[in-house]
Amino acid sequence: MNEARQEETIPSPGELIRLIEAVARERDRNAFKRLFTYFAPRVKSFLLRSGLADPLAEDVTQEVMIAIWHKASYFDPRQAGVSTWVFTIARNQRIDRLRRMRSRPGDILVDPSDRPDVSPSSEDIAIVEEREEGVRKALSSLPTEQATIVRLSFFAEKPHAEIARELGIPLGTVKSRVRLALNRLRTLLDND
Amino acid sequence: MRINHHPSDETLARFAAGTLSAGPALVVSVHLEGCPVCRDRLGRFEAVGGAMLDDMPPAPLAADLFGRTMERLAIAQPSPARRPFTRRQSALGFELPKAMRDCEIGPWRWLGPGFRWSKVRIAGSPDAKVMLLKGRAGLHLPAHGHSGREFMQILSGSLSDERGRYVPGDLDEADDDVDHRPVVGREADCICLAALEGDTRLHGLLGRLLRPLVGF
Ligand SMILES: [Zn+2]
Ligand SMILES: [Zn+2]
Repeated sequence: MNEARQEETIPSPGELIRLIEAVARERDRNAFKRLFTYFAPRVKSFLLRSGLADPLAEDVTQEVMIAIWHKASYFDPRQAGVSTWVFTIARNQRIDRLRRMRSRPGDILVDPSDRPDVSPSSEDIAIVEEREEGVRKALSSLPTEQATIVRLSFFAEKPHAEIARELGIPLGTVKSRVRLALNRLRTLLDND
Repeated sequence: MRINHHPSDETLARFAAGTLSAGPALVVSVHLEGCPVCRDRLGRFEAVGGAMLDDMPPAPLAADLFGRTMERLAIAQPSPARRPFTRRQSALGFELPKAMRDCEIGPWRWLGPGFRWSKVRIAGSPDAKVMLLKGRAGLHLPAHGHSGREFMQILSGSLSDERGRYVPGDLDEADDDVDHRPVVGREADCICLAALEGDTRLHGLLGRLLRPLVGF
């Protein structure tokens, strides 16, 4: 267990915002390297779990980091925390890559980040930080079996039938657990 | 108009995670365009994704990945401006939602008396089962069930079934548990965007009607 050492290398939410701003304003390579060190291994881990094979996962990870570099000035701390923003970039790059691989010549692909314009809210950074903190608390207060279901159905593009096989429980149980877990999560998220 | 029917938690969570397939995701995108409540819900589910990303066990990377990324950065141009729109879109007599601006849209085709459909194609997802449906005011659609999930966003007019009334902005999800018999409101024709998930089939007359014409 080297949790203490791990702890030291994890940038705080406020520090992540400062790093993104340094990349946006000054094209600061050291700040980018810190972001890379923190996010690239986690993004790759996410991509692997969501079903991309290794060389592809690493290639898409690079594209995610490049997108972070180019889009840093669009990051709005009044809308989401840095990790959430990076998550949406990774999600969109993954969708984009899968669609590119399946597309026919002549297809114009939509940048998935263009989809729903989320109008800038008046919420300030503190509110976003509080919300993200609330989400973390909500997640950690889910019973283990519900948390597992959320993780599996959230991150792995796994059909319920496959989750049922993996966990050795009936399909109906998976369905009702997913519903229950999300319901509970939503209640917790609404109460923050 | 007040929106009363929203995507389920599960659907929004999957949309947030990027695991909802292209057809249903398009229908949800159209809903989000008009629904601030769901944009806020989506933000929370995306924050769940952010928290899970933080908790991911770091995966080992190739030792020179940072260096190679910096090399790619040096040659990569900032993403090029969007190419001018070249999709084939038939004039259907109403303004399409923004979320559909990059879809290929076919002309209205006959499906039955007072009932038309238009094929919607999503780039990179040729197999997505998505279409626009248009029913004449007062039209009774055939009763049917589903072997998977059907997503339907009302764009104009209204639709009612045993479970409620759907007006513009509403999104209805109907799965295997639902057998329904939608009726178009008498006040106007109804246009909606519909997607079937995966290998979802419609049972009954509607399925038999759609399959040879629509291909699903
Ligand atoms: Zn809604
Ligand atoms: Zn139906």
